[in-house]
Amino acid sequence: MISLRFQQPSNYDTNSKIKAVFLYNFTRYFEWSDKKKAGNFVIYVVGKNDNLITELKTLASKKKVGNQDIEVKNSFVFDAAVQAQIIYLLPDVSKSIADVTSKSKSKSTLVVAESPNACKTGSSINFVIVENKLKFEYNKTNAVKAGLKTNDDFKALAINVE
Amino acid sequence: MNKWRNIIKTVTYSILMLFVVNGFAQNDKLNRAQQLLQAKNADQAKLAIDSVIVHPETKGDYVSWTTRAYIYFEIYKRADKQKLNSALRDTIVSSLKRSNALKPDETFAVNNKKLMSNLAANYFNLSKTLLMDSINYSRSLIAFNKFKEYYSLTEPTTNFAARDIEYYLAVGSLYSDIFNRDNKNTNAQEIAKLALLKVLDTQPENPSANINLGIMYYNQAVNLGKGLDYGADFNQIDVVQENIVKLAKQAEQFIIKVYKIDNKNVKAVEALHSIYKMLNEKAKEEDFKKKCKELNIKLD
Repeated sequence: MISLRFQQPSNYDTNSKIKAVFLYNFTRYFEWSDKKKAGNFVIYVVGKNDNLITELKTLASKKKVGNQDIEVKNSFVFDAAVQAQIIYLLPDVSKSIADVTSKSKSKSTLVVAESPNACKTGSSINFVIVENKLKFEYNKTNAVKAGLKTNDDFKALAINVE
Repeated sequence: MNKWRNIIKTVTYSILMLFVVNGFAQNDKLNRAQQLLQAKNADQAKLAIDSVIVHPETKGDYVSWTTRAYIYFEIYKRADKQKLNSALRDTIVSSLKRSNALKPDETFAVNNKKLMSNLAANYFNLSKTLLMDSINYSRSLIAFNKFKEYYSLTEPTTNFAARDIEYYLAVGSLYSDIFNRDNKNTNAQEIAKLALLKVLDTQPENPSANINLGIMYYNQAVNLGKGLDYGADFNQIDVVQENIVKLAKQAEQFIIKVYKIDNKNVKAVEALHSIYKMLNEKAKEEDFKKKCKELNIKLD
């Protein structure tokens, strides 16, 4: 008899990779305050997603934002003391969106979330699923309130929520 | 006049005798060839039998042809068994065919069949070796088809569906494995796909083919994600996502067939969990996460 091997589905998380690539793209469309243009470019992930952290760390080892090195920070609950250019709130901490956005107001921080109505509760960007694909909602008003200079081209790429 | 008559008579008699003696001589040669074969002296036996099968007295005798097949088989075993193309093997087959055409008695017919089956089995083993050891599908396929051709000569009504399934499943799993290890090897991917689809042509619900094909599509989608550059722009992301979704849905079509027949199939449940995760179908992902737990499938 000829032997038969069953294939194993890869455990690689494509969605985490896509989110990481999206996040890096977002950095091209916003301008942070001068203060935030110094030091490392910090992507602060709040919540649990090991695959995403792995992807972001790989991204950090390969890319820069302008001249800034990318640094990835992660905690399971929001720590207001962390100075970040991007705060990414995972679904397990979606209840803290309003709190996080109010604390980050005018601090030149882009808040990204992935939970329903996140853009209506203060987030500037919110990942959504449309026809099995990852897309993003954008609330320009929230981005302006957060102290970011925005690029109008970005609106054309997003699902706009005001 | 009488003298001439006697001469003609003597000459005619001599010619007749020559034929008879020659005929006896040929039969002696056949006997000699058989004795040499029994004595394991196949090379000498070959020389003897090759003259027997061309002589008018013995070339029409199935015994000569079967004997020739067995003599050549002894030499073939020694030198050519692992060869895909062998003149010795061709001679054995043509000799057996010739013997069968001469309507052999039962004993010879059975012996002819045994030898042909043996050659067919050799080809099957060769197809296996060429596939698993040499990873040479095209040569393996030639051997496999030869196996079927030769086996059909002994059992003309044989249905090869089960053998085809076994063979193409092996090809499919081997080459999808190669492709999964090296996603640039699109040739391996193509061979695997065609082989597994061939199984599904015969047996549309074959679980192994459906699962391997489904997982291959899924892993192909994974590879697209892996290959996405971190600096890709939104358009590139969109194209990659589009293709990932297409492949994941193709994967789902194959795996779901298995799941519908057996909702406890561990491979199907595990694969569907991965597929729905990839497709961002949260409800289904959670549902299959629970099923994985029930079936003690460890998820990373």
